[in-house]
Amino acid sequence: MSDLDKAIAQLRACRPIPEIQVRELCYKARELLIEEGNVVTVDAPVTICGDIHGQFHDLMELFRVGGDVPDTNYLFMGDFVDRGFYSLESFLLLLCLKVRYPDRITLIRGNHESRQITTVYGFYDECLRKYGSANVWRYCCEVFDYLALGALVIGAATELEPTDAPFADPSHATTVSEGDEVEVELLNSAGHIVTRHVRDRYIGQSSQLSNPPSSPSQTREQTPSRNGAPGTGATGSSHGSSGNGGGAVLCVHGGLSPLIDSIDKIRLLDRKQEVPHEGAMCDLLWSDPDEIEGWGLSPRGAGFLFGADIVKCFNHKNDLSLICRAHQLVMEGFKEMFQNTIVTVWSAPNYCYRCGNIAAILELGEDGSNAGYAPRSNGDVERSHGASNGVLTERMDKLKGPGRRYRVFEAAPQDSRGMPAKKPVADYFL
Amino acid sequence: MASIPNLNTLGGGRRGHRLRGGRGTTPTHEDATADSVERGRDQVVQQTDHDASSSRMSAVALGYLDDPYARTFFGHDTEIPKRYPIINRGTYVRTKAIDRLVKQFLDVRPTQKKQIVSLGAGSDTRFFRLVDESSASNLHLVYHELDFEANVNRKRTTLRQSAELSRLLKSGGDRGLTYHLHALDLRDLAVKSPPEIPSLDPQLPTLLISECCLCYLPHETAAAVLDYFSMHIPGSMALVLYEPIRPFDAFGKTMVTNLASRGIHLQTLKRYSTLEAQQGRLRLAGLSDGQAARDVLQLYDDDDWMAPEERERIEKLEWLDEVEEWQLLASHYCVAWGWRGEAFGEAWASRGGSSSIRNIQMI
Repeated sequence: MSDLDKAIAQLRACRPIPEIQVRELCYKARELLIEEGNVVTVDAPVTICGDIHGQFHDLMELFRVGGDVPDTNYLFMGDFVDRGFYSLESFLLLLCLKVRYPDRITLIRGNHESRQITTVYGFYDECLRKYGSANVWRYCCEVFDYLALGALVIGAATELEPTDAPFADPSHATTVSEGDEVEVELLNSAGHIVTRHVRDRYIGQSSQLSNPPSSPSQTREQTPSRNGAPGTGATGSSHGSSGNGGGAVLCVHGGLSPLIDSIDKIRLLDRKQEVPHEGAMCDLLWSDPDEIEGWGLSPRGAGFLFGADIVKCFNHKNDLSLICRAHQLVMEGFKEMFQNTIVTVWSAPNYCYRCGNIAAILELGEDGSNAGYAPRSNGDVERSHGASNGVLTERMDKLKGPGRRYRVFEAAPQDSRGMPAKKPVADYFL
Repeated sequence: MASIPNLNTLGGGRRGHRLRGGRGTTPTHEDATADSVERGRDQVVQQTDHDASSSRMSAVALGYLDDPYARTFFGHDTEIPKRYPIINRGTYVRTKAIDRLVKQFLDVRPTQKKQIVSLGAGSDTRFFRLVDESSASNLHLVYHELDFEANVNRKRTTLRQSAELSRLLKSGGDRGLTYHLHALDLRDLAVKSPPEIPSLDPQLPTLLISECCLCYLPHETAAAVLDYFSMHIPGSMALVLYEPIRPFDAFGKTMVTNLASRGIHLQTLKRYSTLEAQQGRLRLAGLSDGQAARDVLQLYDDDDWMAPEERERIEKLEWLDEVEEWQLLASHYCVAWGWRGEAFGEAWASRGGSSSIRNIQMI
């Protein structure tokens, strides 16, 4: 067993590794991360995860639900540390896995991977408490500076390989007819299907039909009506053919920036620094989508709010079918917005041991017909100019999104975590 | 400084033995066990004051609140605790909202003598701040604080040891601001023949304040405590409450569980679970001239309660990343107020407060 495997085993047991090992690990991780671009390319299949926030036992639950590394290919969208009681163990374990299986796990930076934020929200204090000095915190912060700012997932299938898992509630069961594309599946932590949504086949033909329901709860009423007789979909348009081009999926922690209109501009940033208070790098880690037009001021005091028009424009220009981001607590674990052009994934159940929310991870499958490679159009600008018909433009504007399988899970049971060693804080007003 | 050193002996002694572990009688074994359980619960409730005091200290240290007395009651040698920005902001909103309601009451009919009764006051500093602020006015005020004996003793020790506070009490007293600290288990007010609270003047317009206090009592007891004051004070009376609400959603359920694991039981929470229920409760308590309730999030977002420049100031104090969490937490606490009598109507009905009819839209 190598030292690294030993460290992994120790961290999996939620026991910190010695300071000297942390230093070595951080050094190796930096050497690895320095080679990555600001935007890492990741091939599907991949499982995308949102904020972890030091909730170590829930991270273990995530691995139980989503599969272990290296069997599952993971992409974590930042905010590994702060708030929870085990930021150190959580981040170091992810870092060990990164060093051990560099091609099976991708880590990008969240706004909490910063010196300033970690001194307010707990990671600094935790390191001080667990090691008696700030050295380990300093090593980790140096790693933070090298984390990529985003990831581009390519080769994701536009439809899901239907699982043969049972339905959690048999009355919601839907069978998939030939020609139907399964677009969204929601699975509970036992692996049972909660809902399944079949892609609208007539996408683009009328504005009504081209708006797939934006949340799984809405699909419940619609899916059963799709149980047509087998064969009715025989002429069904597009499914399966690789030429139809599901776009790529951009993953960032926060969102977009008014200073960034193309992914290439992200690639040009000098990322190897503390997260600045403003500017493009700050925005990517701090911004939030919101039901507004254009750009708005963020209540967080950093980054911006951006509306559906901004997302559609950005996705179109960059051949994206979806932006995947984290950063905002969503009670249901995930939330699709703006006609499924952006999704928030949140992976810290019962956030801060207080919020009562459930968590989610997002699985994107591999487009098998295409050997994992999605052709990317270069002439996208001309393409939209060429389409004068409004309906056609609508159709061309929106690339077919990837099939999305969400697995939701709740906080790990109390007995698995033991009580936090830390004295409880005044989480409430008394 | 009038006080009740041992009120339990006055009240027929129904609960007379509880706080003193059965001194004087020989309890049976069963009694002793039940007794120690209840004493444990009481201690947990008493200790909630330390939480409140720590949170106040944190908010003061960071510049949210200006309160020169927070440090005195918290302890000069104790390390200032670090609280998360959302807790600091919540402490700020709670304090400011209640301060404002108190100020409106004191400002109306400025020559009239008034009375404030703070239930479960703990280490609260409001009276001392009022003495400071009223130095230029000729405010006449009788101020009562009621709490468990242990908390009162702690406060009394602080008062005795602080030259500054002693001076303040004296100068306040000379100007007609009198302060009474009573060691009193509120449950003793809920019995059939409750004790008199010394120096409680039934003729004065009286404002009761319960900041996270009545919610720890069984709802019948909480209602009986309000009845006690309602019966003793025939004229103008009002109550300002600060309490958690909405226990039935995911955040609320988790709150109930988490607090229960610390031994804290919010006994009235399910009964008064909404802004509407809080107002109904105030109405039923005889505060029939007007009731209103807002959750902390509404108070924070409302320009009328929180001047935009003040909101801007406090948003610059700390980088608050937990926006969604703030919205969750702040929507689970409310300030509710209800009144009867003209003094309060004048103070509250026009500005910020509301009549029974208008406040329907606030639910």
